[in-house]
Amino acid sequence: MSEKKQQVSRRQFLNYTLTGVGGFMAAGMLAPMVRFAIDPVLQASAIGDMKAVVEVSEITTEPQRFDWTIEQVDAWYTSEVTKSAWVYKDDNDNIVALSPVCKHLGCQVNWAGDDAHPDQFYCPCHDGRYYKDGMNVPDTPPNAGLDIYEHEVRDGTLFLGNAMPREEV
Amino acid sequence: MKWEKEAVKVYEEAKEYVDTLCVPLSPISLKNAEIASRLANQNKSIHILANELERQYMGRIFLSPGYIYSQSSNFEEEVSKLNQWVKAIYQKEFPHIFYLTYDVKWKKVESYLDGTLIWIPASKIEDYQSRQAKEEIQNQMHQISELIRTFW
Repeated sequence: MSEKKQQVSRRQFLNYTLTGVGGFMAAGMLAPMVRFAIDPVLQASAIGDMKAVVEVSEITTEPQRFDWTIEQVDAWYTSEVTKSAWVYKDDNDNIVALSPVCKHLGCQVNWAGDDAHPDQFYCPCHDGRYYKDGMNVPDTPPNAGLDIYEHEVRDGTLFLGNAMPREEV
Repeated sequence: MKWEKEAVKVYEEAKEYVDTLCVPLSPISLKNAEIASRLANQNKSIHILANELERQYMGRIFLSPGYIYSQSSNFEEEVSKLNQWVKAIYQKEFPHIFYLTYDVKWKKVESYLDGTLIWIPASKIEDYQSRQAKEEIQNQMHQISELIRTFW
């Protein structure tokens, strides 16, 4: 009778308890490590610095200027910085987003800013000019093409990241 | 260019291309709370405007740190002080000098200034993040830069 009542022996009880407590401790140690291991994966999926700029439907073949702001932290001072881009669709319907910063001394260029060259970007500071694809016109002050923004289209909205310099030719 | 570490270095190398100086003029007064808050707000606006102008034309414009004066000062004296201030600091580096201000009192004495006064009628911007404020600043900036470009 008494044997039947004791369904869990002392040995079994100790076994269960030790496995349980041991397993719990092991899990406690491993869980943070798992988090470390997959953390970079989680970060990459969040697409860091891209900012929504404009609806794709608003983009035409004529370059248009769009402004947006990003928050920039300089050590102990957070400020809002305005960024701009000239955005258009090229002949193959690809979106092109060019930085407006002149490669000469950093002024902002304008599309068709000079009446004599209605199909070029024009820098008002020192008469620098760029073709529609952003390449600099030879014999004007700039010696490189306009930077190109990293871009991505999600749900019909254009996201822009950082402006990247062109490869040197 | 502006009075910042990196920009000053660039300026040193590109001096020959930078021929325009912009100086924001801001009055200060603490006598009356209402006026003080208005002046403080105008000081902020003028700097936002000046910074935007510098961003557009940084290859040719040097933005000076602002000139600060007492709102109750005698403007004939203030003009000669400002002229000396600019001369002492910037000497003959800039063929074009522009003063940006919301203070209409400069208008009366502008003929004595070494340079061109750009007086902007004050607009009441309360919320700088609003779309309206940004359009307003862009608008003013465009008109000012049009004026400056006629001197180039």
